[in-house]
Amino acid sequence: MSRLRSILAGAAFALAAGTAFLPGSVYADQPSISVGKTFLAGSIDPAEGSAGWALVTHGIAEQLFHVDREGLVVPNLARSAERVNETTWNIALAPGRFFSDGSPVDADAVAAALNRTGELNPAARASAGRLTFEAAASDELTVTTERPTPILPSILAEWAFPVYREAGDTLIFTGPYAVASFEEGVRFDLVPNAHYADAKRRPEITLRRIADGQALALALRAGEIDLAFNLPVEALGMLRADADLTVKSFPVAYQYMMWMNTRSEVLSDTRVRRAIDLAIDREELVAAGRAGEAARGAFPREFPFAAEASVARDVALAGQLLDKAGWLRAADGRRMKDGAPLSLTLDAYPQRPDLVTYQPVIRAALEAIGISVTTRVTATPTDVARSGEYDLFLWAQHTAPAGDPSFFLSLFLGSEGDNNYSGWQNAEFDALIARLGEEGDAEIRADLAREAQAVIASEAPVAFLVTPEWHVGLSSRLAGYEPWGSDYYIIRPDLMIAE
Amino acid sequence: MASVARNVSGFGLSWLVVMLAAFLLLRLMPGDPAFIFADAGGLGATASLIADLRAAWGLDRSIPTQFLNWLAGFVTGDWGVSFSTGRPVFDEIVRRLPWSFAIGSLGLAIAIIGGFVLGFAAAARPSGVADRFSRLAAIGAQAVPAFAVGFVLLWLMAIEWRIVRPLSGSVPERLLLPTLLVALFSLGAIARVARVAFGEVTERAYYYTALAKGIGRSRALWLHGRRHAALTVLATVTPELAWIIGGTAIAEVVFSIPGLSEFVVTAVAARDYAVLQAFVAIVAVWLLLVQRLAAMARARLDPRLSDGGLAGGMR
Repeated sequence: MSRLRSILAGAAFALAAGTAFLPGSVYADQPSISVGKTFLAGSIDPAEGSAGWALVTHGIAEQLFHVDREGLVVPNLARSAERVNETTWNIALAPGRFFSDGSPVDADAVAAALNRTGELNPAARASAGRLTFEAAASDELTVTTERPTPILPSILAEWAFPVYREAGDTLIFTGPYAVASFEEGVRFDLVPNAHYADAKRRPEITLRRIADGQALALALRAGEIDLAFNLPVEALGMLRADADLTVKSFPVAYQYMMWMNTRSEVLSDTRVRRAIDLAIDREELVAAGRAGEAARGAFPREFPFAAEASVARDVALAGQLLDKAGWLRAADGRRMKDGAPLSLTLDAYPQRPDLVTYQPVIRAALEAIGISVTTRVTATPTDVARSGEYDLFLWAQHTAPAGDPSFFLSLFLGSEGDNNYSGWQNAEFDALIARLGEEGDAEIRADLAREAQAVIASEAPVAFLVTPEWHVGLSSRLAGYEPWGSDYYIIRPDLMIAE
Repeated sequence: MASVARNVSGFGLSWLVVMLAAFLLLRLMPGDPAFIFADAGGLGATASLIADLRAAWGLDRSIPTQFLNWLAGFVTGDWGVSFSTGRPVFDEIVRRLPWSFAIGSLGLAIAIIGGFVLGFAAAARPSGVADRFSRLAAIGAQAVPAFAVGFVLLWLMAIEWRIVRPLSGSVPERLLLPTLLVALFSLGAIARVARVAFGEVTERAYYYTALAKGIGRSRALWLHGRRHAALTVLATVTPELAWIIGGTAIAEVVFSIPGLSEFVVTAVAARDYAVLQAFVAIVAVWLLLVQRLAAMARARLDPRLSDGGLAGGMR
């Protein structure tokens, strides 16, 4: 077999004789651990595109605050945050934190980095406009926000705000791993950051980009990688059959939901919307998608501000609501009013295949209560949602990307929300959101978020359907790894080889 | 000299028209890149963020201004910044193009050489093994998805036999399977074209004359048919050469090659105008060059096809 391999490798070499201009790599030294992901940072500059997000998931960069396993925004490189007035905050830095070159994380370096990112990357200006950082002392920053915000720690936990230090042409970070070398879009060679706690226990990591989910599964099966992140559900059976591999599934915050267009004549009636919400069996959707759990509300259950329970299917009550709304059953089973049938469109988009899978399940559920449904698939979901030319629209959305509930509730459901796709207007909800926008106490904010979700459930401008699950494949060496935090924190300080 | 100047100006004018059409078509595509970026990043598409992104990408200016700015930038080496990656488009393309070019050109080269030989063997022995195999290869390429074949190659070579490391091996190892995939999907069609071309020669008088002189069937076919078959195959593969740049996306996705083709597919989804416009510009230049080179090659194979020669094909 080794001779055959040599022959084939030789043939491959000859085949590629004209490709000497390609980026060269030395693969002879196999690192301790190899991780495969479908995406990789295209650069190591957080000021470029969404590189900041990728660098944090790679374990290279960290923010002043981050979202922990329980969904709470907690200090990381910061020690505390204090609001001085509407637009000014003081941030105290945590002691004993270092960049990977050994220099301390001080206020001057943080201010320089975050001011640079704010200037160059629009993503850093998304939540509160331009943030201006100033060193008040070596371990204290003053932050001025363009727009008032009570949740600056949450904003600083967004992926656009990794901390770094410019050293000539290179950027130095603070994460548990430092970049030894990288080939853009192909691989990162990471070494433990010697100035991070427990550095000696940490393995070296080679991070590879494997664009296709099936190829990712095959790479894990072939032993080319130790950790495969976000595997397709179709590949899980094959991997579970291998005794040397472990597959772990975990809920992610990309909630699946269904907008109901309250501007349409039919769906402007709350009773019709509630009937639709009640007719859908969430467990059937989970079975169809072969992963996930029934959504409890706008947020996965891990978050402290998640709702208490999911909407239970109640076909009888759904029928009564439609009767009261004047949509009565005809002889053929269809709901009719003034001679017209109750007929709706149901949109989904292929970028989220699960949503397309749900379409026939939801159509069957609605037709069981007499509602005719026409399914449609669009490649440009945002355009359709903003145009308002739909009845029902299946949607996937990360509802708490920085661990704060007001982002989704105000932006997508507030009367003046920029992404209020359902066109819903509710004064009680708006008042709750306004209080949420001003309140700083985390527990009170969680209560307000739950109250707001109760108002949504009572009016059903949106039906929250499923909290999806993602799947991680692990070799025996990483069997102890526990995934959490969607795709925001993949390589973490606790990623260790199993003993 | 006047002819050269005429050619160059015609080349430039054609390229400019294509660029303008592509620029307008890209803007007519449904989907707003600013919203797509905001949604993909989980940022929340607030009005202020959308306006900020559009200003940063120059989309807040008029279409003619955008086009003129792009054109001036392109010819001076400033190809803009990718909306998705935030990096200069020139750098993104330069580092990805060699991968796509290597897979596309090597794959097509193998398919041309292999297809030509297979077509000759099929014509030399009709209904023989080569004839049947070439027919099977041509039909298979139409009937079986490239994705599926790619995964089968990956499964066999990397898992069952473990003879290559297509995802983590050396550069030649990583190129081997995607190149084979590209070659497999062109081999059958080229072989059938070559087979027909060689077959046509067997009906010609000079072929029978050669046989009458005592030359064997295969040798006569090779001696008197290869030039005609080469001309036919060249005419067939010339349009295929366009796909060397940008036509290998499936192979790149399956085998995780960081090439240009996969990047362009992603750019389409993201409505990354800067990347797509630059890609179209490069492909347009490449196509014009390929057409010219193919014309020169045809003229060399058959001088009657040159500008000064007789018009028409083989007589």
